[in-house]
Amino acid sequence: MRFELDAATRDYVMSLREFGRDSIRPLGIERDRAGSPTPPDHPFFKEVLRRGLSKTTAAADDASPSPGPAVLRVISAQELAYWDRGVASSLPGPGLGGGPVMSMGTPEQKERLLGPFRNMTEPRWAAFAMTEPGAGSDVARIQSRAVQDGDEWVLNGAKLFSANADRADWIVVFATVDPALGRAGHRAFIVERGMPGLSEPRPEKKMGIKAYASASFTMNDLRVPAANLLGGEAHYEQRTRGAGFKGAMQTFNATRPAIAANAVGMARACLDEAMAFARDSDQLRPRDLDRMERMRRKTRTAWLMCLKAAWLADQGEANMVEASMAKATAAEVAMEAASLGMELLGAVALQGDHLIEKLYRDVKAMDIVEGTGQIQRIVMARHLVNYPREA
Amino acid sequence: MIDFSVTGDAQILLDTVTRFAREHLADTARKAESARAPGADATRLYEDLGLMGLEAPGGGLGLLERCLVNETLGRADPGAALALDRLGAAGYALWAAEDHESVAAILADPARRAWLATPEDGAMNVSERAASGEIYFTPAGITDLVLLAPTGIAVIHGGIEELPVRGAGLRAANPMRLRLEEAPVARFYRTPTAGALARARLYMASLLLGVLDAAAAYARDYAMERITFGRPIAHHQAMTFMLTDMNTAVTGTRLLIQEAAWRLDTAGRDAEAARQAHEAAATAFVEAVEQSAFVGPAGVQVLGGLGFMQDYPVEKYMRESRALGLLYGGLDQARDDAMALPETTLMAGGLF
Repeated sequence: MRFELDAATRDYVMSLREFGRDSIRPLGIERDRAGSPTPPDHPFFKEVLRRGLSKTTAAADDASPSPGPAVLRVISAQELAYWDRGVASSLPGPGLGGGPVMSMGTPEQKERLLGPFRNMTEPRWAAFAMTEPGAGSDVARIQSRAVQDGDEWVLNGAKLFSANADRADWIVVFATVDPALGRAGHRAFIVERGMPGLSEPRPEKKMGIKAYASASFTMNDLRVPAANLLGGEAHYEQRTRGAGFKGAMQTFNATRPAIAANAVGMARACLDEAMAFARDSDQLRPRDLDRMERMRRKTRTAWLMCLKAAWLADQGEANMVEASMAKATAAEVAMEAASLGMELLGAVALQGDHLIEKLYRDVKAMDIVEGTGQIQRIVMARHLVNYPREA
Repeated sequence: MIDFSVTGDAQILLDTVTRFAREHLADTARKAESARAPGADATRLYEDLGLMGLEAPGGGLGLLERCLVNETLGRADPGAALALDRLGAAGYALWAAEDHESVAAILADPARRAWLATPEDGAMNVSERAASGEIYFTPAGITDLVLLAPTGIAVIHGGIEELPVRGAGLRAANPMRLRLEEAPVARFYRTPTAGALARARLYMASLLLGVLDAAAAYARDYAMERITFGRPIAHHQAMTFMLTDMNTAVTGTRLLIQEAAWRLDTAGRDAEAARQAHEAAATAFVEAVEQSAFVGPAGVQVLGGLGFMQDYPVEKYMRESRALGLLYGGLDQARDDAMALPETTLMAGGLF
């Protein structure tokens, strides 16, 4: 066993730290005050490209199944979210859309869709759309319909909370050919910006993490060519039971440790801000130290869980339980750390202008996105106690 | 850089210890509890396997391996594990003092038994000359009492009176209370004690972890078999979530212990690395103790009324996991040490 970072990775973290302090956090605070996502033409994104940061979050390399070692990915995710999770989620790249293209796409689709993300000179985004007004955690029950019509598919339905969909070149949209089929009816489509029938994705008004858009859109008789069925017909014929659903789940399994790492980074930020406040105001009492100890310990635990889940992925080993464990743990830790921060601030927090107050709003999302803590426990239970799917 | 794998040598050791624990400790745990001693075959085999002092400096194995071994032994019977290891955590203090002769003498003589204690383990006054007071829990037969005093390490051989106690758990170690009245200090080493205490905490925390793992595993297996309202109780969601949380608690504790052990093994003479390792060990100890307050009682809860009965092991797990967490100053002292130097995560080194 080893628990240390090599010099190159440390240097990389230090460079992220410098950029985070100088650019990411100020931008996150700015967008929080503005109440809207960072505009796509903001110079920040060009600076991101210049520094090559989008590579760490974008699955754009056809030759590898992930954007790099999973461990490096969680390290990056943790540090970026420390400075601002909303800004971190706004970075150019294919985002969650990259996963299903990599796991399900044909070679032609991978090249066509992910190729433009290699060596980007202009910021560009892709997106992923699964959640619907009536299907959140229970993604098997999505209602968006896909009907084949000759060489085209016709899509109808509504999608919610799709990250960066407002600026995406394309969106991986999950729809069903027959809701009665459950997971087996799922298909994944590439919906491209400007296609007739696609409404303009509308950023939602959120409580926190405002620097990136969680956009909603509708599809009204939206026609996509058969070439945009992800994986082609062959993918679904070979794996008749739930191939589309499994593609979506693989996406979450791959990204869950990074989301957990985001939460760890936010917990760290809460701890550091709380510590700084308590010191500056000369209010670091013994009971506060006890509370800080607990949060520091829980944060450390969650971080080790993230690393373990990512390390397993790098070894090519199953990590579903570890990924869910990290996600469930880290999200709760971050919320508790933010709440403790508010407590230490006391009435100062009521003014609404302290970073901890922003973090308190931001972190709640971490126990919701990509599977709530309750869903993570269900996932673990399927492995631990053979928890039935229909319970 | 980040590696969670167990090396080949350590895995071979673990396989051996697992077999030993299953065949000679787990199945006889209740018998050992009643007899207040592990079986004679277990005692002989433990010595033969060379498990005492396996983490001696320069020996190729370290605290990490000790923690892996102790987790395995704790899973079977932590009281017996304490009884079998005549050197125990006292070795960390003696090695810190570079008193290798005493370690060698203890290992060579089956009649000798060492025990490490802190003043918080009882009510003790320790000077460089003599010690008076009481230590509330030790295994029976202590010949080498090693005390972590504020200014150094005291080794006491004579003037120790053993008083049998019932024991809240760990009865296979034949619990005793020690009384010392001006017991002469045979040797006093003015050497820092933080490293020995950190290692001792991980020694106990890893035994405790083994108990928690056993409790979680037993509860899970029982919950899969016990049917209520037409399905295994493991599939009632209130119970499902408790079982997953127990598993998460055990996993998190294990990760903290392993990381801290690795840090102590690799800190060397780097003072800052050592400080961080000491904090990490205290952190792991606190987590183990806190989780014992959840996992131990939860194991009983899963079994309901049966869990309360001594026909099942979960009540023993609950008692013994809590008992282990009371040693070496317990939770509060460890919590203080874990926050010895409050700092931001940007200032801290290591994984952050």
